[in-house]
Amino acid sequence: MTKFKVSLITGALLVSSSAFAQVTAITNATVHTSTEQGILKDATVVIENGKITAINPASVAADVTIDAKDQVLTAGFIGSMNQLGLVEVGAVSRSRDAGDDKAGIDFDTSSAFNPRSSLIPYARKGGVTQNVTVPHGGDSIFAGLAFVADLSGKFGSITDKHSALVVHLGAKSDGSRALSYKQLVDKLEGQQQSLAEKDDKKDKKDKKPSLEEQVLTQILDGEMPIVTHLTRASDILEIIKIKKQFDINVIVWGGEDAQLVKAQLADAQIPVIVSAVSNLPSDFDSLHASLETAGVLEKAGVKVILSIGGDGSHNVYQLRFDAGIAVSNGMSHEGALKALTANVADSFGIEGGTIAKGQRADLVLWSADPFEISTHVQKMWINGEEVSTKSRHDKLRDRYTTDSKLPRAYTK
Amino acid sequence: MQKFAPSVLVLALGAALAGCQDQGPQKDHVKINKNPYPSTYTVFENSSTLITNATVLTGTGERLEQADVFILDGKIAQVGKDLNVNADNTIDAQSKWVTPGIIDVHSHLGAYPSPSVESHQDGNEMTSPNTAEVWVEHSVWPQDPGFNRAREGGITTLQILPGSANLFGGRAVTLKNVPAHTMQAMKFPNAPYGLKMACGENPKRVYGSNKIAPQTRMGNMAGYRQAWIEASEYKSAWEQYDAEHAAGLNPDAPKRDIKYDTLRGVLDGEVMIHNHCYKAEEMAMMIDLAKEFNYHAGTFHHGIEAYKIADLLAENGNCAALWPDWWGFKMEAYDMVLENVAIVDAVKNSCAVVHSDSDTTIQRLNHEASKIMHTANQNGFALKEQDAIKWITYNAAKSLGVEKETGSLSQGKQADVVIWDKNPFSVYSKAETVYVDGAKVYDRNDEKYQAVSDFMLGQR
Repeated sequence: MTKFKVSLITGALLVSSSAFAQVTAITNATVHTSTEQGILKDATVVIENGKITAINPASVAADVTIDAKDQVLTAGFIGSMNQLGLVEVGAVSRSRDAGDDKAGIDFDTSSAFNPRSSLIPYARKGGVTQNVTVPHGGDSIFAGLAFVADLSGKFGSITDKHSALVVHLGAKSDGSRALSYKQLVDKLEGQQQSLAEKDDKKDKKDKKPSLEEQVLTQILDGEMPIVTHLTRASDILEIIKIKKQFDINVIVWGGEDAQLVKAQLADAQIPVIVSAVSNLPSDFDSLHASLETAGVLEKAGVKVILSIGGDGSHNVYQLRFDAGIAVSNGMSHEGALKALTANVADSFGIEGGTIAKGQRADLVLWSADPFEISTHVQKMWINGEEVSTKSRHDKLRDRYTTDSKLPRAYTK
Repeated sequence: MQKFAPSVLVLALGAALAGCQDQGPQKDHVKINKNPYPSTYTVFENSSTLITNATVLTGTGERLEQADVFILDGKIAQVGKDLNVNADNTIDAQSKWVTPGIIDVHSHLGAYPSPSVESHQDGNEMTSPNTAEVWVEHSVWPQDPGFNRAREGGITTLQILPGSANLFGGRAVTLKNVPAHTMQAMKFPNAPYGLKMACGENPKRVYGSNKIAPQTRMGNMAGYRQAWIEASEYKSAWEQYDAEHAAGLNPDAPKRDIKYDTLRGVLDGEVMIHNHCYKAEEMAMMIDLAKEFNYHAGTFHHGIEAYKIADLLAENGNCAALWPDWWGFKMEAYDMVLENVAIVDAVKNSCAVVHSDSDTTIQRLNHEASKIMHTANQNGFALKEQDAIKWITYNAAKSLGVEKETGSLSQGKQADVVIWDKNPFSVYSKAETVYVDGAKVYDRNDEKYQAVSDFMLGQR
């Protein structure tokens, strides 16, 4: 019995490691590196053991060579600010794990992540290979910790459990935003003080810090950013003040009014996460919402990240279309691509997001311009392994478009 | 006298009719005004326009290259190559595309406007499962900045619907997407009214959770059937009253009920059903329900599972107004396929429509249609731009009952026209100029034709 088990496991390991050791060369591609190298024409990219091992090598001995003539290779897109893996059906309570009334700074939802969610293969249809999943929290302004997962759909696909602390600032349905700022500042000051006191009492035995204390320390040490959900220009200036006071890393999420304070944002080196299609004044905080926001911020020198507004979990595959809309409203094509790749990786400290030697091999081969609607994914790789874009949606389509004399239920 | 089945309503009506044999001079005939809030829309100032050398999608399945469109007196006068006409304005549309004005059959603009603050939640009277008595036009705020954004995306006609919490949500209204400061000034002249119905999860959740019927899908069906029985009785009562009055008798008019006025409008074929209904088995039952009470089941909106019953929809003449890719927000939206519209469209006599139900995607219905076309073509379909444009023009007009007036570039139709800077099925395309009834209502390159709502004035 035991022997049998072991051999099964060994067999599985052998299969996966041999697949891993395979050298794949993608040749003749138009490679959008999202690095200073820019776009490389007729280029070769080699992947092995989950990494990009060479770009345009003098010679290559590959197990698999893919002729990507007239095709475009980009880094895998990185979705963000959604609940991917924490929700299956929005209105089904037992399939939702992104919120809890008691959520706070230490709300770590990575333990609730479901890599088998049907949303994950669907997201791959849009060339999305990694995602920053965020909780929506509960009663507190502190919604909890964002985590990063790859979209291989495998168990163990979380790559960073604590990548940012999400804080809801700005307009409130109940109470004043003034108190939100005070709560944030109090928490940071409190932790600063307790760290200073700890330094003073070196003789005292160290108590293991709570997760909340660890998170606050990481933020104060510049090791973890806070992502602040706010839109009004005055709120952006307020968070810039807080950033300067504590010398912490801040990412603004929303920023419909950001055009008004673009120079201050650039100066404070604050990345801004925007929805490219948010152009309506949904409240008095967003009177400057515009399709041009992403392009205007880019030109001002702000690092822009594009994410899907609304139900970003089920719709993250649409990122590439949003990027196209940003481009037709003033953003550079290269900038829009970075806003889906390198800028997300930089801001959240994620491996990936560029095509460079040594980089994680999350790659997408597109039939043409990745933002254009007529384009589709030809092939994609996550951590060097080729992954499929098929999902249960394709099975449903095939069932109802395939002729059969038997009821549909027999078409599988 | 009492020839219809007794019910509370009928007893009340019966009492009202009891005096029909009264002697004496005949009382005035009570007539119901079916159009008490009439359109005051007037065509904006316009002159004849010739658009030349464009790629023209007619909305009726044709694509013409290097073609001209001639607009005269607010109508499409001619479409063809090298038209030899004199126009006040000639626009060289070389490398540009021309389509009919885009039509969205499912919008809540004005009723759920921006800013979406507490005071603006006017889209759904969630106080009873049957609120057929409300008319969404009475909620429309014409200053919603969303109307302007939609126009910039080529929307020239749109239907505003009440929300979907109720089995019967109330009357829908079709608007011309022109800037105005009264609702009546946007109202599409002579467009039929719609009646919003809703299947499935929403009604049973909203009411059932408060222990009010319906609490189940069978409760939903019972609620519709009961209402149609009452509406049929109401219709009979009025018809009998009219007949007796015409025969020189002196009947008392039945008691007026605006809820049943609307339902009767459906039974009389004057009001079109627009039914929020996601699932295959529910749409199939709604088709039978309509047969049971002798009306037409109309257009199914959000039919996530329409692809499962594409044949049934076409056989029964039902349009299906669908999203390209929304899904998963509730169970009835779980079985989405990206090719839904294309599968529905592939059946003979079908009526596939792409709708938005969104103040955002209404701005890009061309892209929504494009997503479907390209995904479907990846999976065995061979759709072209001239086919897909129908989903957001001619078929949408048919769903609203205004296909004789708008929805295609056919001679004599209202000149609702969009000039696109490039192929509108490209993600980079934008509407450049928009005409409603031949009048320019938007020009991307001329600020003079870029409307600003009162709400946004002085805010930036």
